[in-house]
Amino acid sequence: MNLQLFVSGISMGFVYGMIAMGMVLIFRSVGVMNFAQGEFLMFGGYLCYTFNQLVGLNIVVSMILACLAMAIVGIIFQRFVYWPLRTAQVRAIIVSMMGASIAFKEGAKLIWGSMPKNADKLMEGTIQTASGAFIQKQYLAIILVAVILMVLVYILLEKTFIGNIMQATAQDQYTASLMGIPVVLSISLTFAISAVITGICGGLLAPIFFINTTMGATAGSKAFAAIVIGGFGSIPGAIIGGLIVGLIESFGGVYISSTYQLVIIYVVLILFLMFRPQGIFGGKIQEKA
Amino acid sequence: MKRILALVLALTMTLACATAFAQASGDPIKIGLTTVLTGDRSLEGEYATNVVEIVTEEINSAGGVLGRPIEIVIEDAQGTDVGAVTAWKKLAADDDIVAIISSDSSNDNLAVADLAKEAQILTTGQGSSPTLRDTCNENPWMFQLRACDVTLCEALIAYAVEELGYQTFAIIHETESSSVDQAGLFTSALAKYGIEPELTLGFATGTKDLTAQLVQIQAANVDAVIGAAFSDQAALLLQQMRMIGMEDMPVLGSNGFTDVVTIRLAGDACEGVMAATHWAPSTTNPKGAALQAKYKELFGEDCGKSAAQVYDHILVICEAIERAGTTDRAAVRDAMNTIDSFEGAMTTYDCTTNGDCGRGGLLVVVQNGEAVVLDEIISEK
Repeated sequence: MNLQLFVSGISMGFVYGMIAMGMVLIFRSVGVMNFAQGEFLMFGGYLCYTFNQLVGLNIVVSMILACLAMAIVGIIFQRFVYWPLRTAQVRAIIVSMMGASIAFKEGAKLIWGSMPKNADKLMEGTIQTASGAFIQKQYLAIILVAVILMVLVYILLEKTFIGNIMQATAQDQYTASLMGIPVVLSISLTFAISAVITGICGGLLAPIFFINTTMGATAGSKAFAAIVIGGFGSIPGAIIGGLIVGLIESFGGVYISSTYQLVIIYVVLILFLMFRPQGIFGGKIQEKA
Repeated sequence: MKRILALVLALTMTLACATAFAQASGDPIKIGLTTVLTGDRSLEGEYATNVVEIVTEEINSAGGVLGRPIEIVIEDAQGTDVGAVTAWKKLAADDDIVAIISSDSSNDNLAVADLAKEAQILTTGQGSSPTLRDTCNENPWMFQLRACDVTLCEALIAYAVEELGYQTFAIIHETESSSVDQAGLFTSALAKYGIEPELTLGFATGTKDLTAQLVQIQAANVDAVIGAAFSDQAALLLQQMRMIGMEDMPVLGSNGFTDVVTIRLAGDACEGVMAATHWAPSTTNPKGAALQAKYKELFGEDCGKSAAQVYDHILVICEAIERAGTTDRAAVRDAMNTIDSFEGAMTTYDCTTNGDCGRGGLLVVVQNGEAVVLDEIISEK
């Protein structure tokens, strides 16, 4: 039982972590929390469904095409939701993002209808362990893809010229522009990467949890909890926070209360805000700032 | 030759006139409908909107009501009780609206019950909770058309215990209010046999990973699992159950477990699931079978419960208007109380003694991707 809970907790944790990482990338870049991040998850799922079930492509090809499409979604989002308000107060941008979230949900309903959808799994079937636990292979696929993505994002941010540009823009947009860094391009790229990371999660979840227009809301709120627990603005913090949230959800549902799984997560969130408001990796971020 | 030609011409004209007379004319009779067009439960609105197209065409092409066409005015209840009240108020403010059909949620219906009484406008609720039934029995302006959940839950438990011989159960339910109510009704029905569930577990609406709940049920080693949830959550539950090694575990569920959407989403995981429900596309009810055929022909998919019940609500209200002979709201309400043995697509309606009109349901099992009717459930008045 514990192994089953651990695997499901870790895989869901990676999903929350990836969504949180997408949110953190945007937060670091423009200083605003993207309240429509959950809708990137939904769009990723629907796009995967479209390529896989409607067009009839293989799930791997479908996910690659969905990634490309999500990059475009991210750039469009940046151009129409963030960019026109970039000089306005933060609260105006937040309202704009919340409005976009509603528009995305209702737009998706108009395009794909109200009926939940699903797509093929990357890995079919289950594995039965010696202890009798059943583990869905798709959960293992989620873990595998998440680890690969994290490594790729790390290489991109830390080891490439584009990553340096993005980090420079995130640290100080004005100075970066004075140094000749294409700030608009850098921010667009950040939104695109954020949308791709979250969209892939949507595609991975589609076959096991179905896609509907509200799938992003709950996952988005758990990702937000992951960010607070891990430390605002920290990418490693987002991943660790996501894993903590996933494991709390999984084990808390058995050993504390299945009905109040979500409540348990928020209690932990409140405890962090009370006793370690900077989160696990918060200290480093303050030094950096 | 001329005589034959004249005869053919006369016959053609007669037929044309007859057709013209059958068509409804004049100002339309308006009936309000609150349904969920946006938000979490918007599938309900899709079904409702589709079936409105069918029923208005059927009624209007058959001469309408009181010789006038009917028009269904739809407002978005947004899937919340606040939205349901706002939508209801907007409809009630229109003096031309004769009666209002409230959305597919007992909570939404209860939220507008007092307003219906104050505004004195006939309102039918699509919910089926016992609380709504009690309200409808006390409030002369509110009517519940679906058979109460008590009847259905008791029938399902009776079948499970008496026919199938199950003795140990685990209950799992969504924490949304109507599923909590249904879980309570299942528990009460089991208590009549002196059975207490081995464990009762809830999960918040929107929970995707149900491993935490399912491993506990697996460990309890019960004869059957009883579920209470809406269709998408029911499908998730069934699929995850089968994936973690509970392939052969019998599942009894609320009507969401054998819904068209659940069967489509859960696929093979839904096979063998039993439920007491208000509607199944495989119904043997003649009006229901005709509706299913027409719905499938027009929209290419099976008719869902939300569509079937909106269809019946409109038919029952039109019958009341026809009996009243007027569109006066009070007269229509009085006429509603005279409706007895009225055959709808889902069941037979009897509103003569109180506002609890629906008389029956269906005991179904999913076989080969279809909810097959095992038995009819008839409740006593």
